[in-house]
Amino acid sequence: MTSAEKLQALQADVDVFVGATEHTSLASLPHWGSLAVLLVILHCETQHGLVVTGPQVRGCTTVGDLLKLLP
Amino acid sequence: MHSSITNVRLAGLAVSTGSQTRDFIADGLALGLDRVMLERTAQTIGLRERKVAAPGITALDLCEDATRRLLDAAGLDASSIDAVIFVTQTPDHSQPNNASLLHGRLGLATGAAAFDLSLGCSGWVYGLQQAALLCAHGGAARVLLCAGDTLSRLTHPKDRSADPLFGDAGSAALIERTGHAAAWHFELGADGAGANAIIVPQGGARMPHDCKPLTEIPDLDGNVRHAANLAMQGGEVFNFSLRQAPPAVAAVMRHAHYTVEATEGLVLHQANRFVITTVGRKCGFPAEKTPSDVVEHYGNQSSASIPCALIHAFTEPLSSRALKLVLCGYGVGWSWGAVAAEFGPLVVAPIQPYPHSR
Repeated sequence: MTSAEKLQALQADVDVFVGATEHTSLASLPHWGSLAVLLVILHCETQHGLVVTGPQVRGCTTVGDLLKLLP
Repeated sequence: MHSSITNVRLAGLAVSTGSQTRDFIADGLALGLDRVMLERTAQTIGLRERKVAAPGITALDLCEDATRRLLDAAGLDASSIDAVIFVTQTPDHSQPNNASLLHGRLGLATGAAAFDLSLGCSGWVYGLQQAALLCAHGGAARVLLCAGDTLSRLTHPKDRSADPLFGDAGSAALIERTGHAAAWHFELGADGAGANAIIVPQGGARMPHDCKPLTEIPDLDGNVRHAANLAMQGGEVFNFSLRQAPPAVAAVMRHAHYTVEATEGLVLHQANRFVITTVGRKCGFPAEKTPSDVVEHYGNQSSASIPCALIHAFTEPLSSRALKLVLCGYGVGWSWGAVAAEFGPLVVAPIQPYPHSR
């Protein structure tokens, strides 16, 4: 999957990313918070079979950092 | 740990909930939160209403009410109970235990044993295994299993990651020795390395209530709590649930020779719809066999959530015939328990708020 495809899939599951780019800061997203972190964890598990932890997601600064967690 | 216990039956179930209704959207608006965000969260997680205990009402009161209604419905006298097990993390006191207090309130015989199990969302399955053991091998003919909590008292109202989730309830179940019943297959486990993921730090012997003043501290998302509040790492708990529940469910189904097709229901701990549907799917069950709407009416009821879901979703069939069911609870301590068994026919008392409305 390309980064663009990964972002598109993420946006389909977690609507806080709608309109975001790889360079968007997570902190700048209006609805970034504990629920969004949960939804990202769910997306990783259901779409990629990948277990990521809350601290891993929290450790990301930009949307691009999040996409790097994905295979 | 696997165990198979034969010649026991579940004879009755009752649940009493808190009497006060809290609405997720209204509570959020009162805190000044955005309605669109609240509605989106409600839809995603599956939060709507929850029932919390009125001031002064504890898990002991809720379980006592459930027990009295169950004994009435079953036409049984409390003197026929040989042991009472009380599963709770919110006992009336650090000493004595809730089981002994209930023993006294019900006027049980002095030969009846009474003990607590300190567990949360996995606790009903753990308690069921202990009750079954007492009946099969411990000299008891009838055991009362009570399970309940008032977790809504432990969360901070400004902690939106925990406070909207929890309802209060107490359950009662009767487990009996019988001469002719298929085995109940249990799988119990724990991962203490994750024990701090759900924690109330202050108030126990390690950090007594008077050791330091309670200071409210905001987290990265602006949620506020102090050291005597319940703190939960949601993402870690979610991953834990996905990691441990499906193998436990698969193990008990393998021992019981159950298939998904032949199993009439997978009753998971009612944490929230988001977790239930994900764990259920991971276990290979279709949504129609995995009740997930209990939590939208009552909230996460800790150890009372599985009996509440059984009554909510299966009252009619459980009252009239045997059902092949798989139950699984998972949560605090990082502990989990699953059981595959035939339950029913049994006496079911309806879910009721306590105190009862007049």
